[in-house]
Amino acid sequence: MRSRRLREALLGYLLVLPALFLFALFVFYPFARNFKLALYQTPPYPNLPSKYVGLHQVGQVLTSSNFVESLVTTLLFVVLVVPAGLLIGLFLAVVAQRQLRGLAMYRIIFSSTVVTSVAVSALVFYSLMNPVVGLLPWLGIEPHPSVLQSTTWALPAVALMAVWQFVGLSFIIMSAGLQSVPEEVLEAARVDGASSWTVFWRVTVPMLSPTLFFGVVVATIYAFQTFGQIDILIGYQNAAYEHVNVLIYNIYTTLTYGGNPGRAAVMSIALFLITLLFTLLQLRFLERRVHYAR
Amino acid sequence: MSRSRIAMAVAALGGSLVGVMAAAPVVSPAGAAALPQCPTAALAKAKGTVDISFWESMNRTNGVTLTKLTDQFNASQSKVHVTLVDQNSYTTTWAKYQAGLSNGQLPAVAQLQDVQLQGAIDTQSILPAQSCINATKYKTSDFIPRALAYWKVGGIQQAMPFAVSNPILYYNKQAFTAAGLTPTKPPATLGQFVADAAALKAHGSGVGLKLDPWHLETWLATANTLFVNNTNGRTARATKAVFAGKNALKVFTDLDQLESSGDAATNPYQGPDGYDNLLGIGSGKYGMSIDTSAALGTIATLLNNGQYPNVTLGVGSFPVLTTKIKGGVEPGGSALYISNKVPPAQQAAAWQYIAYLDTPASQATWAAGTGYIPIRKSSAKTATVQKLWTTNPGFKVAYEQLVNGATTPATAGAVIGPFPTVRTAELTAEKNMYTHGMSPAAALKTLTQQVNAALTSYNERLGVT
Amino acid sequence: MPGRRWRLVARYVLLTVGAVLILFPLYMTVVNSLLHANELDRQPPLFFPVHPDWSTYPTAWNVGNMGTYLRNSAIQTVIIVVGQLVTSVLAAYAFAFLRFPLKRTLFVVFLATLMIPFEVTLITNLDTVTSFGWYNTFAGLTVPFLATGFGVFLLRQAFLQIPKDLQEAAALDGYGHWRFMTRVAVPLARPALAALAVFSFLAAWNQYLWPLVVTGDNNAIRTVQIGLKQLQGSQLQDFNVTLAGTVIAVVPLFILLVVFQKQLVRSLTAGAVK
Repeated sequence: MRSRRLREALLGYLLVLPALFLFALFVFYPFARNFKLALYQTPPYPNLPSKYVGLHQVGQVLTSSNFVESLVTTLLFVVLVVPAGLLIGLFLAVVAQRQLRGLAMYRIIFSSTVVTSVAVSALVFYSLMNPVVGLLPWLGIEPHPSVLQSTTWALPAVALMAVWQFVGLSFIIMSAGLQSVPEEVLEAARVDGASSWTVFWRVTVPMLSPTLFFGVVVATIYAFQTFGQIDILIGYQNAAYEHVNVLIYNIYTTLTYGGNPGRAAVMSIALFLITLLFTLLQLRFLERRVHYAR
Repeated sequence: MSRSRIAMAVAALGGSLVGVMAAAPVVSPAGAAALPQCPTAALAKAKGTVDISFWESMNRTNGVTLTKLTDQFNASQSKVHVTLVDQNSYTTTWAKYQAGLSNGQLPAVAQLQDVQLQGAIDTQSILPAQSCINATKYKTSDFIPRALAYWKVGGIQQAMPFAVSNPILYYNKQAFTAAGLTPTKPPATLGQFVADAAALKAHGSGVGLKLDPWHLETWLATANTLFVNNTNGRTARATKAVFAGKNALKVFTDLDQLESSGDAATNPYQGPDGYDNLLGIGSGKYGMSIDTSAALGTIATLLNNGQYPNVTLGVGSFPVLTTKIKGGVEPGGSALYISNKVPPAQQAAAWQYIAYLDTPASQATWAAGTGYIPIRKSSAKTATVQKLWTTNPGFKVAYEQLVNGATTPATAGAVIGPFPTVRTAELTAEKNMYTHGMSPAAALKTLTQQVNAALTSYNERLGVT
Repeated sequence: MPGRRWRLVARYVLLTVGAVLILFPLYMTVVNSLLHANELDRQPPLFFPVHPDWSTYPTAWNVGNMGTYLRNSAIQTVIIVVGQLVTSVLAAYAFAFLRFPLKRTLFVVFLATLMIPFEVTLITNLDTVTSFGWYNTFAGLTVPFLATGFGVFLLRQAFLQIPKDLQEAAALDGYGHWRFMTRVAVPLARPALAALAVFSFLAAWNQYLWPLVVTGDNNAIRTVQIGLKQLQGSQLQDFNVTLAGTVIAVVPLFILLVVFQKQLVRSLTAGAVK
């Protein structure tokens, strides 16, 4: 008996080992080391030694105008993308909900943007917004400087692209959620004389709230992690770069162009904590209002 | 002690002191480290051929001439063999060099851009050319003083200049005539440049104003104005910006006026690399533009191939800030650095190759093949170069600019660790003026703050504050 | 009833407007990819390629290297998907069917990896991978992603659904763990495995930041995403080729979407519906 238990335990550890080893090496060790990196000031050239400066670097980075602007840009971006992305997805899901003829095709179209990768969506919108080959001049929009190089319009342009790309995922999530709202309940409410609007707000939305909550969490994380689109649509060499310099992009440029891992480490910890904070806040305030069926 | 004993002691002491001083290596004023030795002995002892690699940053056309010179070098002796590795651009070479600092893969010779000078020194991975100059008793009197002076920091020649250029004025003589200007007298000062631009604009063309921070610095150099402290970073490490003053304000104000009056079209979005200001001269859009002398070869060929009948290309010197101050045009371009991370024999071999590339004959071939300035005065007298200058007198302009004028720390150029960041700040200042309507004084103030911040942060990270 | 009919029509109108708006950017991309170079900057823009230039696609494939990039992405993605499936099955099996000390703690640890976003591990992972000599190699591109907490979570859920009596019957029949895993558990968890495979595939295919930092100027391993970025840097007159490359990059996934819709939905909504 004893040896069987022992063998089972050993087998258990053995099976868990590959994943655990990979996590230890590529997730936990880097996470811990990040804190150490944040405390060391790295020299401009990789072959020179780093200097321990403790929290001085942390304070310096967090109070620098570059970081603060980056943080504001990131938050602005999240505000532009999350509500719009979720609401459009919800709207499309509601409209495509019924078992009607031909709706399968519409559903595929609405989910299609989920398979457009980062680079594809960015290029698609780059071609639309380019001042020479794009559509904007035809629409009468010919600002100088062009939209993608404008310090005011670059961020909304990237946000528009991010919303478009997110709508596919949003639609899928909302559709799945709507499917869990029993048709009978909706019918009952309608038979009782409630208008579609009331049905929607008083019945559908509360029953949809776990999904909405999930959607908000997913959308926020997506917005915080948006990187490739900015790199392709705007890029480091662009005049408008500072106005789309969200935190994750800032971390990348600090690391690769600035050669400053210490500073990048501080910013990545900040981004991690902010994302965590948002998720916890959402858990606290939003989950309270979620109606669970059982 | 008896007098003779004392005398003998003093003599012995004095003699030994002299002996010590003679043997002591040269101490650089800017740093505490002594000048390392050039390992010529290791090269002499090496058996067989020493293979070295050279990371060069030239484009394909210039690469052809470089290959020719390198083949000549390899064929002329059997001790050293050089393999060219084309990195295609200064940025790539520098990026690879930095990667090489951590993975250990560095070449014996690297062609680094002018702005990387202090950075290269700070990587502590280069063998100063001075070491080998001393060891081989190399004579430098034939070099154009300012070309050497740029790359001399702390009294030590850090690298040898190779592909040197400076900004010159390109203009269309026919456009000048049409605007009522004398085609043989291009503007000699910034003030005249602004005035002529207005005339050109009134008659259909205008000026292509390239946003290139190098031009800003050159205007200051022509007014003998220092850019940073500690003698432009040459006697000690630079710690703050000192350029903000009457001269800098004049440059900013004049440029701003050029742009806001519409006389000049600028390129704030494409960046210096993407701007077709010179092609605009061909198409008639611009009557003149300032750009690097290194582009002259390409542009001259392009504009003379018959496609542009309304263009006669003229070349003038860089319009100085003012003739009242004796300054000079600072050099730019790139130099050859020896890495101290390769075996000693390779380092000495690298010096032999560099010395070959800088002989009068090589420089003559190089100048004729690429349009870079021949940095040896005797190269200028060779038939090759004379022929080049007769066929296209424009090439002579850059040379004369470098020879004439004063050679002072201001005209030698600034030595700054975080130069790339400083250049970006200069670009931002210009963009702020042209696209965000910032006043020249405010732009200058912001620029000064940014340069100071860059210097402070860099020095702090390096641990030398 | 007229009211109902009207509502139906309105619904179809809304659906169509929505579909047009969503598809329009992609449609214009396809149109532009078939235009001739001199038609690209036409104002007003062409909405249909009257004389399509089909040569942009072979050009994008060869000169634009899209063929190579697709191959590289395929290799990278397959390695990651297979790796994630294998490590997740093994670990999930242990968590679902075996008993060992600290099991609960270890599971929480696995879940914790979901809370640690990529940017926090980026810097050190780059150093680690470079120090192994894996910079610019498929190993560097894939190894850090061969395990996923999400996969372990998903598969453990699926394995837990397997009825206990089935386990006991198998034990009576003399099935060891290996046989049980391969003959019973995995086949029964197939829907979850498919969902995980689709999710992993999309995530791996879509990676941008990691391939950007870990591959250099090397077409031999550059993936589609970074390859597209390279194409974007080309001249404006070659833009039709760039867009042809973009279409080439998205079509395979589009086909996958149509075929694997169900699995896709299941994996993406794994946490949505309680």
